[in-house]
Amino acid sequence: MSLRMLLGLTVVSAAITTTGCGPKPEQYSLKGQVLDISASGQIIVKHDDIPGFMPAMTMPYKVRDPGVLQEVQPGDLIAAALMVAKNGNYWLEDVRITDQSGRKTAKSAAMATHVLKIGDKAPDLPLINQDGKTFRLSDFKGKALLTTFVYTRCPMPTFCPRLSSQFAKIHEHLAKTPDDYNKTHLLTISFDPKYDTPAVLRRYGLAYLDNDATGFSHWDFATTNPTELRALADAFGLAYFEEDNQISHSMDIVLLTPEGSVAKYWSTDWTAGELEDALRQQARSAASTPSAAAGGMKR
Amino acid sequence: MRRCSGGACLLCAASVLLAACSQMGFGLSGAELHGAQLFDLHCADCHDETNPDLKKQPPKLKGLFRSKLLPSGSPATDQQVRKTIIEGFGTMPAFDQRLRDQDVDDLVKYLHVLK
Repeated sequence: MSLRMLLGLTVVSAAITTTGCGPKPEQYSLKGQVLDISASGQIIVKHDDIPGFMPAMTMPYKVRDPGVLQEVQPGDLIAAALMVAKNGNYWLEDVRITDQSGRKTAKSAAMATHVLKIGDKAPDLPLINQDGKTFRLSDFKGKALLTTFVYTRCPMPTFCPRLSSQFAKIHEHLAKTPDDYNKTHLLTISFDPKYDTPAVLRRYGLAYLDNDATGFSHWDFATTNPTELRALADAFGLAYFEEDNQISHSMDIVLLTPEGSVAKYWSTDWTAGELEDALRQQARSAASTPSAAAGGMKR
Repeated sequence: MRRCSGGACLLCAASVLLAACSQMGFGLSGAELHGAQLFDLHCADCHDETNPDLKKQPPKLKGLFRSKLLPSGSPATDQQVRKTIIEGFGTMPAFDQRLRDQDVDDLVKYLHVLK
């Protein structure tokens, strides 16, 4: 199976849960080093060649046994079975730690920082949007905010292009109900600030807004300096690593309440409909509480 | 029912063999073969597959240069295809700084023979 087949797998994996009654998944042997563990329960593994399947690279993987997430730590060398189902799902099973000596030296963002829990207040770091305007998450006070992370040069259709395409769908749906539209906001943050300048982000955003720049009033495309970006990513549990001009990353979507607290996280298992419903629900429930109603909307 | 004569059968077999060889990369120049590998790695996920979660389905690229215009409406020239690969177009990501000049050249060469 080629690399492109693997990359195509995640499209289906997001929507389908393996039931175990389908054809037996293919199994490959994976060996590599754990670089990070995302808040959404994926482990980021820099792995060796997987003969007959894909070359060496760094990729996020789901694990079937949640206990693994408690055991592995960044820096660990692991061996595992990479399972690839016919329906497109892929995941790791039988994860074994073969060497723990790298733990001490692993420079993991996840180890050094605190990933926000549900209910925690999001950090109020400055961001720069597609128009070059500086803003902060607190500027969205009073609105439910759905945010995610991408980089515009991402070539994997099941990662960033999928995220932006599905956000575009949510944006279009919300535009049909002005009440919800005015109480919600979408935010796409690039983790490639070197390349994704405001001008690049504007061009990227317009492609997903059908060239209608008025859509930026409801959907911002932003970035910030590398230090602030890392802090924000760590807070939301996003893992990303740059290698050879490519960025390996986990997929993370975060819903913030109109008060700026974390309401929910998603990684790979979501649909645009689920995100949209949660966003609308968050906006409506908050609007019915006196404190939210009293909160001002700056944007 | 029509039957295949001996000669016609040989011709059929030769055609099938030629098609198979072409599929496997025989008959391609070194540059085209390299372009084919790059296409498989970087382009085929979007341009050969169907990704229903994408906002716009990327166009198939077989016979790209047969038409005078690219799917974007721009002239189907090497220069324009190079520009599209490097800068991206619409929702297509840019490959700027991710492919070397020679890679882009080879990719364009392969797109000329992709049928």
